Amino acid sequence: MSWIPFKIGQPKKQIIPKTVERDFEREYGRLQQLEDQTKRLQKDMKKSTDADLAMSKSAVKISLDLLSNPLCEQDQEFLKMVTALDTAMKRMDAFNQEKVNQIQKTVIEPLKKFGSVFPSLNMAVKRREQALQDYRRLQAKVEKYEEKEKTGPVLAKLHQAREELRPVRDDFEAKNKQLLDEMPRFYNSRLNYFQPSFESLIRAQVVYYSEMHKIFGDLTQQLDQPGHSDEQQERENEARLSELRALSIVADD
Amino acid sequence: MEPKEATGKENRGSKRKNLTFLRPRLYMLERRKTDTVVENSVSGDHSGTLRRSQSDRTEYNQKLQEKMTPQAGCSAAEAPTQDEEQQMRRMMTKRSKIIKELLQTEKDYLNDLELCLREVVQPLRNKQIDRLDVDSLFSNIESVHQISAKLLSLLDEATADVEPAMQVIGEVFLQIKGPLEDIYKIYCYHHDEAHSVLESYEKEEELKQHLNHCIQSLKKIYMEEGKPNLLDMGSLMIKPIQRVMKYPLLLCELRNSTPPSHPDYRALEDAFAAVRNINVNINELKRRKDLVLKYKKNDEDESLKDKLSKLSIHSISKKSKRVTNHLKILTRGESQVKDNTFNREEKLFRCLEKTVRHCVKNISLCLQQIQDAMVLALQSVMELQEISYNKDEEEGGYSETPNKAPNPCNDFAAHLQRLVLIPLSALLSLFPGPQKLIQKRYDKLLDYNSYLQRSAGDESDLAKKEYEALNAQLVEELQVFNQAARKILFNCLCSFSTLLRDLMLVAQRAYSAAVPVPLLASRISEIQNRVLEEVHNLNFVKDNSATFIERKLSFEKKKPVQIPPEMPRQTDIHRSKLLSTYSAEELYQAKRKCNATQEYDISLLEGELVAVMEQKDPLGSTSRWLVDTGIVKGYVYSSFLKPYNPAKVQKVDAENRFCDDDFDNISLFVSSRPASDSVTGTPEGSISDSSSSLSGTCGKSEVNGTDIDSFQEADEQIFYAVHAFQARSDHELSLQEYQRVHILRFCDLSGNKEWWLAEAQGQKGYVPANYLGKMTYA
Repeated sequence: MSWIPFKIGQPKKQIIPKTVERDFEREYGRLQQLEDQTKRLQKDMKKSTDADLAMSKSAVKISLDLLSNPLCEQDQEFLKMVTALDTAMKRMDAFNQEKVNQIQKTVIEPLKKFGSVFPSLNMAVKRREQALQDYRRLQAKVEKYEEKEKTGPVLAKLHQAREELRPVRDDFEAKNKQLLDEMPRFYNSRLNYFQPSFESLIRAQVVYYSEMHKIFGDLTQQLDQPGHSDEQQERENEARLSELRALSIVADD
Repeated sequence: MEPKEATGKENRGSKRKNLTFLRPRLYMLERRKTDTVVENSVSGDHSGTLRRSQSDRTEYNQKLQEKMTPQAGCSAAEAPTQDEEQQMRRMMTKRSKIIKELLQTEKDYLNDLELCLREVVQPLRNKQIDRLDVDSLFSNIESVHQISAKLLSLLDEATADVEPAMQVIGEVFLQIKGPLEDIYKIYCYHHDEAHSVLESYEKEEELKQHLNHCIQSLKKIYMEEGKPNLLDMGSLMIKPIQRVMKYPLLLCELRNSTPPSHPDYRALEDAFAAVRNINVNINELKRRKDLVLKYKKNDEDESLKDKLSKLSIHSISKKSKRVTNHLKILTRGESQVKDNTFNREEKLFRCLEKTVRHCVKNISLCLQQIQDAMVLALQSVMELQEISYNKDEEEGGYSETPNKAPNPCNDFAAHLQRLVLIPLSALLSLFPGPQKLIQKRYDKLLDYNSYLQRSAGDESDLAKKEYEALNAQLVEELQVFNQAARKILFNCLCSFSTLLRDLMLVAQRAYSAAVPVPLLASRISEIQNRVLEEVHNLNFVKDNSATFIERKLSFEKKKPVQIPPEMPRQTDIHRSKLLSTYSAEELYQAKRKCNATQEYDISLLEGELVAVMEQKDPLGSTSRWLVDTGIVKGYVYSSFLKPYNPAKVQKVDAENRFCDDDFDNISLFVSSRPASDSVTGTPEGSISDSSSSLSGTCGKSEVNGTDIDSFQEADEQIFYAVHAFQARSDHELSLQEYQRVHILRFCDLSGNKEWWLAEAQGQKGYVPANYLGKMTYA
């Protein structure tokens, strides 16, 4: 019997190699980061599509409010203009809706599907951790018996502990190997998985914006009799405003 | 001096031509200043009269002479009194003196104007000083000059080479009264402002110097002429006003000194009235403006204290009177003074106000959301990109282009502010002024109406004047206002559309640049398919980690599957071998099926015979016994075993099946189904093989135990009543507590899962699902 309570300077035996543990941590860390990213992206996509919809709704509101104004009844030219604007806005809304649907289909839903893999991964990792703990516990038990004097019961117990340890160790090693093998594959699969989504998203945006450009280009041609430049427009507005300010009925301050 | 004379001569020489060609310019000048509509008919009319007067002059003169001479002859023949004759002559001399004065003063006035134009207005205009607005100082002084020149030429024409008796001055004024009024109206209207502008200019040293410089040169000229009466800029500016006020006085005097028999008398009377009218109109215009300014100022910069102090009895009574009057009009529909033009313009004005307000609100909201959406879209694109591509293999073009995109959006915002929102907001801020005045006009209209009914002379007049002044001013300016406001609104909407177009283009470019692959290469559906494929490819990860339970199951599956080869089932041969080798005390029988859980454990089926070799395991636990099945030796938990009683075993077994043990049996099946499935490679065979009693049980239950599947199905369908249930109709089935029922369908005809179709003791009917409990391992 040794009476040394603490085994100083004798490091606890590492049951799994440090490199393995490090590899595991690295792979899992990357995946955890990916999980955070997808979660955040999912949220942001949602926000973005919501904002898109709100934007086109507010644009439609501009023209709707204009259309409902009694000014349209009196002023044919104004009515024509507002109607054209309204048509453009409604088309924009429709295209926007389409774009959002497209994004929903090609980006958000795949994201969700991808995201649903993570809980199982986490579960697997947890189970591995569990197995590791069991392994450690039993390993410690075996070591304890190994250090004791080799008497009959001790040997029987050691034997039994070893017997118990074996399946647990096998289980852990299987799990560990599986995870180490599969985590990088899972991590790399994201490239092939998300690239089409990315391209689709970009294309949806490009298609949408080129349509919008066409729509508003047409509208501009329809509205703008001579193509005024910004500066001209500004000067014109300024001139009108000062004309208004010169009126005695307008408060000039 | 020389140029002046030259212009003078030229004036005289080509005055008619000059005038007709100046006319359109004159009106243009006028129009530049304000938008008052000047009837073109005036000019046409006028040139007509001009021509006539020219061609018919000689004829006209002759006629006049004829008219006069008989009178003269008559007077000579009838020998009128000396007094009359003398008075007539005195009047005529006085008249010619006045005419001369009129001509002279007009000449001087014209001269002053010319000098003013040449020495002050033109140089100032040529200097083009930014802060010095010559127009606001002198407004339409050019037109004033022209009208004066024309008047002078007409007067010249009417007096030169014409006998005093034939001179008709009134006609000249009548001819010119239209343009005269319009031009002086404009000048006088702006004079007040011009005066305040001048004061502000004189405060600035630099501007003051410019002005002084002009004045000095003008003074020099006057000194040379010997007329040192010029004082300053203000006196220069007020000259036209003084002049126009002088006309009625001169004409009045002229009329008074014209004998009633003179052909000019009538014309002068009319001219006097006309000129006086012009002055009244000008005054009225100014008053209108003052009134508007007064009411406009009224509510501005007014604290609560001021308001309270203003709350006098007079104002309260005025207000209450207005309210009652308004009610009267509403209820009785009393006649009211109406102005259709005003109503139309007011409606338009209100519509515009509403439109602009909505536009400002909606467009700024929209801008906000466009910005949000663009930023968010970009952010998500970048995040997605980050996920989709490895950082190290990122190509330069990928990451850079989208980053540039926020700038156009900001650009758009700035442009939109500058071109749409700021002008619209500025426009919107201009609406309250007129609104206040419109309200005031309604008040005045009410006052006017109430006085009209009571026909109070003086007050009614005042109210009428105030109302009319306000109304006229509003009608006139609202039209201008509405047009300009409409134009701004149009411009802004156009700009808005243009800006949206540009924004879309920029966004499109930004995104197009970010895409490396040609756009049409892969279609959306293809991408979808690819994505789905990816998902399928991912399944190995998914399967491994996701379906935890499945794996757990499969774990359990594996071991028993491996064991059977090692541990074949006990047969009669083994049994007899056990019976022969071990004593009866050592023989035990498995009460229930038991599965091996640890190494060296053995699995037993119910009823299997074992011989106990040691009633403990190596660790000393007495609950685990080492037993021999005749095939292998291993450990079994003692709780699964019961002593073997060869005499009883068959009978008890059988009885058990018949009565109380039914329950147990069934639950056993339920719980151990997967295990028994897995244990037996060929279920039927092994079960009938291992224990004949089992098939007996099967026979007893409702379902004929030939097929294991239907058997399982049957026991799945067996429930017991947790509570008693009393049937309420033929369709329902009464149940006793703990009564066993066989469920035929787990829903009713309409698919309601609350009611199940049950069968018990040969009767069928519906029972509520929540009254039933599953037969479980209790």
